[in-house]
Amino acid sequence: MRDDSLPTGPSRRDILRLAAASALTLAVPGRLAAASETPVADSSVSGPLHSAGVLAFGPDNVLFVGDIAGGALHAFSLRDQDLAEQTGVELGNFHNFEGRDLVAGLDQKLAALFGTTVDKIVINDIAVHRPTQQVFFSVERGRGPDAIPTIVKVNRGELEILDLSRIPHSQVSVPNEPSASAMLEFDPQRMYAITDIEYYKGEIFVSGITNQRFASTLYRIPYPFNSSMATCTVEIWHPVHGEFETRAPIIRHVIRDLNGEPFLFAVYGCTPLVRFPLSALKDGAHVHGDVIGELGYGANPLDMLIFTSPADSKDYLLVTIDTRSASQIAVSELASAPPEPTGGHIDFGPGGLGRTQRALPIKAEHLAILDPKWAVLIWRHPRTTWRLDLSTLALPYFFERKDGMSEMNWPNGPDPFDYRDHHGEIDRVGHLLPA
Amino acid sequence: MKSPVTDHPTLRVNVDPHHDGADSVTLSCPGPEFGALLAGAARPADLLKSVFRVTVAQNPSEESPRLPGVSGRYVFLEGEIQFVPTFPFEPGVKYRTTFNLSGIESFPAKEPVTLDFAISPKNETVEPAVVTQIFPSCDVLPENLLRFYVHFSNSMRRGRAPEEIALFDSDGRPVDDALYRAPVELWDRTMRRLTVLLDPGRLKRRVGPNVALGSPLKAEQQYILQVGSGMLDQHGRPLREPFRKQFLAGEPIREPIAVKDWQLHRPTAGSWQALALTFSRPLDRALALAAIRIESEDGSVIGGQVEVDRCETRWSLAPSSAWSPGAYRVQVSSQLEDVCGNTPTGAFDRPLRASPGAATEHDRISFAFRLV
Repeated sequence: MRDDSLPTGPSRRDILRLAAASALTLAVPGRLAAASETPVADSSVSGPLHSAGVLAFGPDNVLFVGDIAGGALHAFSLRDQDLAEQTGVELGNFHNFEGRDLVAGLDQKLAALFGTTVDKIVINDIAVHRPTQQVFFSVERGRGPDAIPTIVKVNRGELEILDLSRIPHSQVSVPNEPSASAMLEFDPQRMYAITDIEYYKGEIFVSGITNQRFASTLYRIPYPFNSSMATCTVEIWHPVHGEFETRAPIIRHVIRDLNGEPFLFAVYGCTPLVRFPLSALKDGAHVHGDVIGELGYGANPLDMLIFTSPADSKDYLLVTIDTRSASQIAVSELASAPPEPTGGHIDFGPGGLGRTQRALPIKAEHLAILDPKWAVLIWRHPRTTWRLDLSTLALPYFFERKDGMSEMNWPNGPDPFDYRDHHGEIDRVGHLLPA
Repeated sequence: MKSPVTDHPTLRVNVDPHHDGADSVTLSCPGPEFGALLAGAARPADLLKSVFRVTVAQNPSEESPRLPGVSGRYVFLEGEIQFVPTFPFEPGVKYRTTFNLSGIESFPAKEPVTLDFAISPKNETVEPAVVTQIFPSCDVLPENLLRFYVHFSNSMRRGRAPEEIALFDSDGRPVDDALYRAPVELWDRTMRRLTVLLDPGRLKRRVGPNVALGSPLKAEQQYILQVGSGMLDQHGRPLREPFRKQFLAGEPIREPIAVKDWQLHRPTAGSWQALALTFSRPLDRALALAAIRIESEDGSVIGGQVEVDRCETRWSLAPSSAWSPGAYRVQVSSQLEDVCGNTPTGAFDRPLRASPGAATEHDRISFAFRLV
C-alpha cells in the first residue's frame, strides 16, 4: 500500500472521485452518463445509414454512400478531424513490384473491434481519399435484416470507426421515380440494390439492380442534393447485332472524357461493355449504347476503374472479375472501338478491343487506386486464406513479385529490372531490413 | 444499484433488463492508486484502453496476436468505470473482459482480474426456417424463364445463396452457369424473399453467352430448383430441410403482355364481390400485386385486399367498400412483367426500334369498364 503517495486531507473515497472527475475531463471523448442514467450502446456511429454499400468520393471531401436498406444515397462532408494524412506510410518496394500489407487480417481485426466473429463481418466497398491517401471501407456487422452499417478508415495501420452521427450529412431517396410509375412506389418488398455510384461534374450517377422488375434505370442526381430538381432517370438498352434491343441493369460504370466529350462506360449483368455519350443520357430517355465488347459468360464485374500507367503514362480501363483474371483495355481504344464487335469474349482479335487487352492475375475482392504507383486491394493471400488482408499492389502490372516464381530469383537468370540490386530491401510487413 | 464496497477490483456484466442490447461491463473499485494514475497520465484514454478492455474470446488469437479490443467508451460513475461497447454485445459470442495493471511500471504487481461472459440469445424456441414457396408456382415454366422468388418462413442472412441454390436436370446433375450471381443478393426488405434470376446473358438471343452456351433451360426437359438447408436464418441456424421445386420447361414466350386479352370478371354494382382479372399466361407475382389497380371515374384508387393466385394467372381485388355503379378503369403499369421479363409494351428482347429516343416506358395501359 503506497500511503506515501496519497495527499493528506480528503478521504480515500473522495480522492477516487476527484481522480475520476479529473480523468473525466481528460480522458474520454463522447457522452458521459451521470450515475443514475442507463448508458445506451452507441450504435449512433451508424448515423443515418440503414446499410453501408458502395462508396465514392466527391468534391470537397464528400463521401457518398449507397444505402440499399434505407433506399437512399448519402453525402457525408468529412471534416478535417475525420481525415488524416497517410503520406509517409510505407507502401512497398515499387522497383521490385513488392507490395506490403497495410492491415493484415483485416476481417479478423474488424471482428475483434466490432465485438463479433469473422463470419459476421461484411466488407462491401473500398474507397481512397486521394489527397490524404486514406483508405475507407463500408462494413456491416451481421448479414440479416438487422445488420449494423458503419464506415471504417485506416490510419497508419489502425482501424478507426467513423462516428457518422457527427458528420454533416445530406441524402436523397433512390429510387426516386417519376409519379407516373409511382404505382410501384409503395411496394414494401421492392428493393433497389445500388451497385455503383460515381461523381462527375456536379452529378452523382447511380446504377443498380432491383429485386423485382428487370429494370435498366440509371439515375443522374445533381449534387448538392436539391429537392427542387428532379432526378433524371434513363432507361438503358443495348442493341444486339442490329436486330434486337434489350434492357439491362448496369452493374458497374465509369465516366471518362474522350476527345473532349464525356462518355459513360457500363458493364451489365449480361456481360456487354457498352459506351454512351453522356449527352444522350437525358431524363426519361431510352438510350441505346454502343456495345464495344463482352466480358464473357459467368463473369461478375467487381470493380471498374481507370488508372494511368506509370510505365507508359497512358490510361487504362481495368475491370476486376470474380471468377477469373481482370481485363485491362487502353482508354484510347474505348473511344475508337467500333460498335458491336463480331461477337465472342472481350479477349478478341484485331477488330475489337483486343489489341492492348491484358488478362491480369488479380484476385481481389475489392480494389482501388491509392496513388500514381500503387493500387490497394482487399484479398486473401494463397498461404493465409483464412483471413482477408489490405495490401498494396504495384501498378501497372498488378503483379506481386514475392508471390510469383521469377527467373530473377536465380543467381544467373535474366534480371532486366535490376532486381538483384534491390533484393531484400523491404520485407512483407514493411520493415526496412538492415543493409 | 451500488456495488458492495470492496477494496479490490471486481468486474461485472450489466445485462440490459429490456433486452435492447444496452449491455455493458463495469469495473468496480479499481483502486485510488489507479484513479491517481489516470489523472496523472499523459494519455489517460489510451492507458484506460490498455488496462481495462473487452475482447472477443473465440476469435483465434494464435495467428493474429495483435487483435484490437472491442470498440467502446468509458463512463465514470461513483467508484466505478463502465465500459459501453460501440455496438451491442452480440448474443452467443463469448467475450473476455480484463483489468490488468501488470504492464504498468510504477505499479505494484497485481493479478489481473478477468471475467468471461456471453449474452444469452433470445428466441431459442423459434422454429427453424423453411422455404414456404417458390414462385412461379406453375410446374410448367417457359424455356426463357427469367426469375424465381424463393419465400422463407423467417428472416434470413445473406451470403449463402450462390452455393445453396442450384438448378439440376432430371438426372440430378447440376446445370452449370444457368443462375445469375447477382453482385448483391436480391432480398426484399424483410429478408424473407429472395429473387433468383436466370442468367440474362444466356436468355437474350444472340448475346455472347447465349451464342456460346445456349439458353439456360431447354424446352421439354425436366428441372429441379433446389434450395439447400445451408441457407441460414437471421439467428444463424440452417433450414430445417432443403426444398425442391420440380418443373418442366415449355415453349419460350417472346412477346409483350397482351393486356387486351385479359378477361375481366365484373362484380355486381352494390356488392362486395371481388373483381378479378385473368391472364392468358402467368405473370410475375410480385409485380402483379403492385402494378395493377382499379380506379374510379375521378381517378381515386379503389382500396381493398389484392390477391394473385391460380399459378399467377388471376388477380383479384376484394374491395373495402361496396362497389358503386359507374365507370371504372383498370390501370396497368408498363413496368408489369411476366415470368420472362416481357412487359405490356415490349418483349424482353425485342426487335430494334427505329428511333431509340422514343416515348418512355412510364406510360400506363388502361381500359375502362362500367358497373351497373
